[in-house]
Amino acid sequence: MAKAPETANKKAATQLKIQAAAKADALAAKKTRRANKKTFAANGAKYAAEYKATEAAAVAARRDAKTNGGFYVPAQPKLVFVIRIRGTIGVDPKAKKVLRLFRLLQIHNGTFVKLNEATERMLRLIEPYVTYGYPSLKSIKDLILKRGFGKVNKQRVPISENAVIQDGLQLDSVQCVDDLIHEIFTVGDNFKATNNFLWPFKLSSPNGGFSSKTKLLHFLEGGEAGARGEEINALIKKML
Amino acid sequence: MSAAARPLCSVFSTSGDKTTDVALPAVLTAPLRPDVVQFVHTNINKNHRQAYAVQMKAGHQTSATSWGTGRAVSRIPRVGGGGTQRSGQAAFGNMCRSGRMFAPTKTWRRWHRKVNTTQKQFAVASALAAAAVPALVMARGHKIDQVPEVPLVVGGDVETLSKASKAKALLEKIGAFDDVEKSANSKKLRTGKGKMRNRRYVMRKGPLVVYSTNDGIEQGFRNFPGVELANVDRLNLLQLAPGGHMGRFVIYTQAAFEKLDTIYGAAGKSIPVAEMANADLARIINSDEVQAVVNPAKSAPKKYLRKKNAIKSIKALEKLSPYQVAARKSETKAQESRKTKKSMKKTKKRGIGKEFYEKMSTQGDVCEDGF
Repeated sequence: MAKAPETANKKAATQLKIQAAAKADALAAKKTRRANKKTFAANGAKYAAEYKATEAAAVAARRDAKTNGGFYVPAQPKLVFVIRIRGTIGVDPKAKKVLRLFRLLQIHNGTFVKLNEATERMLRLIEPYVTYGYPSLKSIKDLILKRGFGKVNKQRVPISENAVIQDGLQLDSVQCVDDLIHEIFTVGDNFKATNNFLWPFKLSSPNGGFSSKTKLLHFLEGGEAGARGEEINALIKKML
Repeated sequence: MSAAARPLCSVFSTSGDKTTDVALPAVLTAPLRPDVVQFVHTNINKNHRQAYAVQMKAGHQTSATSWGTGRAVSRIPRVGGGGTQRSGQAAFGNMCRSGRMFAPTKTWRRWHRKVNTTQKQFAVASALAAAAVPALVMARGHKIDQVPEVPLVVGGDVETLSKASKAKALLEKIGAFDDVEKSANSKKLRTGKGKMRNRRYVMRKGPLVVYSTNDGIEQGFRNFPGVELANVDRLNLLQLAPGGHMGRFVIYTQAAFEKLDTIYGAAGKSIPVAEMANADLARIINSDEVQAVVNPAKSAPKKYLRKKNAIKSIKALEKLSPYQVAARKSETKAQESRKTKKSMKKTKKRGIGKEFYEKMSTQGDVCEDGF
């Protein structure tokens, strides 16, 4: 038997230990992945059913109100998608601060914002620099699938796998991309954490351009700035 | 290094045979610090300089004044007077002929350098230790291939050897003459102006003979080219590390070798201590004590491949949401089936109409009445 130096034997032993540990970890990871696949698929189906149900409920309520002569008041929207449409030169100090708070630091950056009295007033301050509206489920889905990047360890990491969401967000209730979309769309309890995990969307210039007149006026005047309700979805599609 | 287990050095007689063994003095195990030796050498080497300077008054022994402007000449001071070629010539400036040089050299230039005594002692100890390493001595350029042992110690009555012939015989017997010959053969004219400044020749350094008492040894060895002598009480760094390079070939007399232990002993000079007791980094890092408390190795940061558009690429969507993939597939399938069903329905309906029309268009049998 060939004699090996003691250090070589020790090194071989520790390497074996490391390999064994790595194998065990890989096996465990595989198991969790398989389990996750099932739960995520189930979640996806659950959410799809939920979205359908809420739409159906809204339609039913509207029809019901019509037949019974009452009024259907749809719920006030809880979520807006804000897109910055003006650059950084010559911005009002108050507006500059609010834009920074909304993480809209660059032109064509977009973020989701939960609507409440406070944020509504903030949006009013930055109206000349942004456009915002109520995103549809499809817009939210497309934004996250195509332009979704997460904040992992202070880095901007593409959401190419559910592992990115699990590592970055570390919430039990939001583990996969469907959970993420659901949390944003329904503005759940963990909206703040989830939205903050999402890096501000970097959108392209709109295909087909902004308004032919000017983008500096309010949307209602033929420009692009300010609130535009459901019309934001058309713009998102052009900028995706 | 403990004094308990010290290696032994052979002592050679004047006939070149080994006689006894002597323990290696502790100085020769001092840390080797070429940086210290170089620093001390460059500074000490400046201490035997002689001052030079130009004459204080050189270039100023005129009463030249500038002619000012308006005379179609430059404004440099010009020598006054007349009747000689010198009058009207420019003076004083460093650019002028016979003017004073720029920044005339002064004798009070700082010629000598002070070096801390401990640093000087450190350097000498380090240089002595380096002289005991055959690799370093060879690297310095000495021819010690025939030398039986390094450090080379010669015993007997070598310190009384006052005849050069006997000294030569000794050097040959102990294999040190190669180095002397190398030195002799290397004598060449100095390059540069040193030739005419009483530094005409240069040659390599030979062995350094270190003795304890001069009973004639100086006379015996001093005439050999390259050979230098030194008393062990007064060792010179400029001789032990010529040019700032450690590893001079040293020949000790037995008395000098043994005296080193008293000079650098308990009552004498202190031997420098190395910064690191154990400098084998690889061994330290891989030792049990360190490995036991070391953190686990970090894995390389995860590489993210280019992001694929999950709206377009089914594979990318599969990673994120298998439900959506399934939903999309079932939706496309449903679309396909709807399309085929619709086209089938259309063709069927169109087919019925066509059939009817063709039936109607065919000429039937003509009746009796002509209908």
